[in-house]
Amino acid sequence: MKRPKLPKSTIECPDCNKASGFPLGDAKGFSRRRFLQVGATGIIASYFLDVVNPRVLYGRTIAANVALRSTATNAIFIFLSGAPSNIDTWDLKEGAWTPSDFNPTSYNGGNLRFPQGLMPNTAQHLDKLSFVRSGLAWAAVHQLGQTWAQIARNPTGATGAIAPHIGSVVSLEEQVARKTSDVLPGFIALNSAGIPSSGYFPATYAPFQVIPASTGLPTISHPDGPTRFTDRWNFLHQLDANRTSGALGKVTSDMNNFYDQSKTLMDAPNINALFSFSSTEHSQYGSSTFGDSLIIARNLVSARKGTRFVQATFGNWDHHSGIYDKPGNGVNSLYTQSAQFDPAFGALLTDLKNMPGSVAGKTLLDETLVVVVAEFGRTVGALNNQQGRDHNLRMSTVWAGGGIRGGLVIGKTDATGNDVVDYGWSQNRDIRPEDVTCTIYSALGIDYTTVRHDDPLNRGFEYVPFAKDGTYKPIDELF
Amino acid sequence: MKHKSWVAILAAGPALLFGDQKATCPVVPIVNPSPQAIYHQLSVATESVAPTRHRAVEPAKSSFPPAVNFIDTEVFGKMRTDGVMPTTIAGDEEFLRRVTLDLTGQIPDAATVQAFVADATTDKRARKIDQLLASDAFVDRWTMWFGDLVQNVQASNNIREYYVGRNAYYNYIHDSIKNAKPYDQMVREIISGKGDSFTNGPSDFWVRQIQTNGPVQDTYDNLAAQSGEKFLAMPMLCISCHNGLGHLDLVNTYLKSKTRYDFWGEAAFFARTRAQRQPYTDPNNPNANLFKYDVQDSIPNGAYQLNTTSGNKTPRTAVNGQSTVSPAFLLTGEAPRPGEPYRDALGRVMTGNIQFSRAAVNYLWKEMFGLGLVEPTNNMDINQLNTQPTHPNLLTLLANEFVADKYDLRAILRTMANSTTYQLSTKYTPGSWSESWTPYFARHLAHRLTAEEMLDAITTATSVPVTFNVNGIGTVNAAMKLPDTLEADRNTYGRFLDEFGRGDRDTTPRSNDTSIAQSLSLMNDGQVVITRIHRNTANSTVAKVLASTTDPGSIADQLYLATLSRRPTASERQQAIGFLTGGNLAQRTEDLQWVLLNSLEFLFD
Repeated sequence: MKRPKLPKSTIECPDCNKASGFPLGDAKGFSRRRFLQVGATGIIASYFLDVVNPRVLYGRTIAANVALRSTATNAIFIFLSGAPSNIDTWDLKEGAWTPSDFNPTSYNGGNLRFPQGLMPNTAQHLDKLSFVRSGLAWAAVHQLGQTWAQIARNPTGATGAIAPHIGSVVSLEEQVARKTSDVLPGFIALNSAGIPSSGYFPATYAPFQVIPASTGLPTISHPDGPTRFTDRWNFLHQLDANRTSGALGKVTSDMNNFYDQSKTLMDAPNINALFSFSSTEHSQYGSSTFGDSLIIARNLVSARKGTRFVQATFGNWDHHSGIYDKPGNGVNSLYTQSAQFDPAFGALLTDLKNMPGSVAGKTLLDETLVVVVAEFGRTVGALNNQQGRDHNLRMSTVWAGGGIRGGLVIGKTDATGNDVVDYGWSQNRDIRPEDVTCTIYSALGIDYTTVRHDDPLNRGFEYVPFAKDGTYKPIDELF
Repeated sequence: MKHKSWVAILAAGPALLFGDQKATCPVVPIVNPSPQAIYHQLSVATESVAPTRHRAVEPAKSSFPPAVNFIDTEVFGKMRTDGVMPTTIAGDEEFLRRVTLDLTGQIPDAATVQAFVADATTDKRARKIDQLLASDAFVDRWTMWFGDLVQNVQASNNIREYYVGRNAYYNYIHDSIKNAKPYDQMVREIISGKGDSFTNGPSDFWVRQIQTNGPVQDTYDNLAAQSGEKFLAMPMLCISCHNGLGHLDLVNTYLKSKTRYDFWGEAAFFARTRAQRQPYTDPNNPNANLFKYDVQDSIPNGAYQLNTTSGNKTPRTAVNGQSTVSPAFLLTGEAPRPGEPYRDALGRVMTGNIQFSRAAVNYLWKEMFGLGLVEPTNNMDINQLNTQPTHPNLLTLLANEFVADKYDLRAILRTMANSTTYQLSTKYTPGSWSESWTPYFARHLAHRLTAEEMLDAITTATSVPVTFNVNGIGTVNAAMKLPDTLEADRNTYGRFLDEFGRGDRDTTPRSNDTSIAQSLSLMNDGQVVITRIHRNTANSTVAKVLASTTDPGSIADQLYLATLSRRPTASERQQAIGFLTGGNLAQRTEDLQWVLLNSLEFLFD
């Protein structure tokens, strides 16, 4: 396993002095929770007024002259945990090891070689897809790398333990734009148990976790039926005087608000349909739980009911052995994984392309950024002695929609696929998970240089560490 | 402002936010503000509020409840000085539910409530506290607390303890608390933890901090930062990359005066220890590749070397020609005695420092009172001990008391639980409440039950138990008995526990926030809630109640006792009877328990 070499500039230690934090004494008497609630949500004018020694608990600074793309409304973030082999997929390197039925084929005027045999459906969308091949992970350790890619920083760094998932940042940033009809949570995560959560942000912005099921959400309808529910709900509100009096304090009022929101969600028409799917759709998307998750992702972005960031996680790509094993009894290989990924991904792109956008002449794909990432890549060249590939930092990411131009290849690796001969972008260096995050934020119109001043460490929380100093940048070449 | 739903507020837009504020603040409404403008405006608005605006009229001193120990003297003293009136002492039922939850993580069952209420002796609260402190449930609840503190978990970003190491650590913590091992001794033992990480729990303190993608100094740094933050409540990680000056000026003025070199001195206490990785064949699953560690003080001349350029920290280079750093306790400079193993020395000096006690009593205070005397509880500034705590003298007295108690958890918790301050009601009766009185502890601060408390409370209230199969431990029958926060099937109970913010003992901290996922589950979760209120579920509370009576008053009494651990008020009883008799009695009995399970009082402590 390779050890990553981290240049000094990447180490997450934001310059606390430049953050205009406030003396700790000013936060005295605040619970962290209340502190956050006040700060992060921006909601609670009335609550502020009641607080001892109120000082500015919320503030933000941003770098000057930051150009944001603002080309996307939604993001679908597909995380292939376990890390697929990039040189067998997004950065195909043909060699003696390459199975012939991968059927490497030239596309886009000969600029792109792609394993058509492995991913026939994806191959039909190569005009819409762009590949970033000069990616480099920081850590070749699964969970460390996964968390790193989802919180855009070193999890073991100073703000690693309080950092929200990038989807939580999106959810919070989009909160002010929510409309009455936006009944769904801003960040929904599918098949994503155990991913980072809202960090120091309130639970409002935590990923709303869904395990796909054809019947939809397990808790969106009342198991004893709507009549019983109405009886119960009405009597609850008659009997529970604390709900209206607020006699137990602010936190209980907040909880009551969430009951009201839940009721709104339950009462809104056709919400559960968004989380459900037919057997026809199930098979269209490849008859897998990953496929099911992309059906729901499609539904959520097309519904325009407040969900702005959807994560679909699909694991088991950790092919240390038998990476080319043919499908069969219990085999997990690139074949079996691709057989799930490929039809689902292809169907998603087809559907997003065919569904109308909110602006005339635009498709849903035009306003939905689709990104496929993993925690790292895999070793290159011939297979190891277990017929597999081990962890490697060089990696590729896949981009589509949301203002991304299709058919691009950013970055060129050498013949092995391990080293870069042309980084392919303005910064002329490896593209890091932090850059990927900057790109997502920029596409969604979120200032990736933002430093919030409501973090419990009182040190200033950077959406992307060092982005305000120009260390990390969006991959503008994609747009 | 009446608290409307979040969505509704935002839908109404800034007009609602600012319209409401206008009444009390000199805010100029702005037209179509950008989000940045809204934030700025909010910030400006909050600056201008006079902190004394909501203060009550100076109360008559005689109307204060009696002070029973130094906690009350301090807390009531500050309230008197600032003209804040405490609420009244909680009734027996409110007290019993709270103290049972806080000390054992469980709600009291109906029979316990009735017996306690019927007890006419004057010292029954103190005896109840002693009884709870001696219970097995106390051990489970405080094992969970300590496990959270040291982040004992089977898998984290950096490293896997695996379930085997996790269990060894869990068993060590559980046995230590069961046997009333002093808190300082536990900390010394884990700081010096040695041996096989799959059989000797304390060595997992080391294993948990191993940094696999960097030089060994990264691991030493993790150990120093972790022990500093958890046991001293000082965010030492900040100075593991850079000096405090110019960085921590506004965060921690004490650490501001410290340098990265000082931190290395702290980390150097770990430099004579190695953890040897060894493959392990899991008898339960021979195909799994597990790894354990043998942690030993095996490097007699080990030193913290300043020779790294890779890993997770800025380069470590020689300082003034010195390429190694000797161990020196960050707070005092204390060094190992001749021949003393380095880690033993760190445990000795760290647990011998009063800051060790201060940090602990602040954590414990927060567990009991819902809000630390210093917040956040993991960032104490020992240069500002007179201004940072809400009650500086109380913090000192508690820290001294914990030392005098020989770091006996039960003793200090007993002192807290017996105070009148702890026994104040959650409801504020002297007048209308101001949130600004929360840090005065003028009433008990309601906080949401933790994930494990919530699930266990539902199972207790409904009499339908839950069972978990824990790898290497077997069947356990309460969420509070789970050895870490990653256990339980994610399709059912695991999802519920995650929704209620149990965290992952790694990058997702435990949280008592509320969310829409929580309210949806409480209302609609078929497995956790709905099945449990059904009369056809064997031995459910509803089934037992219906088997015992058809009298609606008795049904109401029994369900209130089982669910809210109290009797209904006359008004509630009357309303419940009306509801029960207004439809099918059996169905309405189920409905009533659902209503009580979803009432705010059930969800908060």
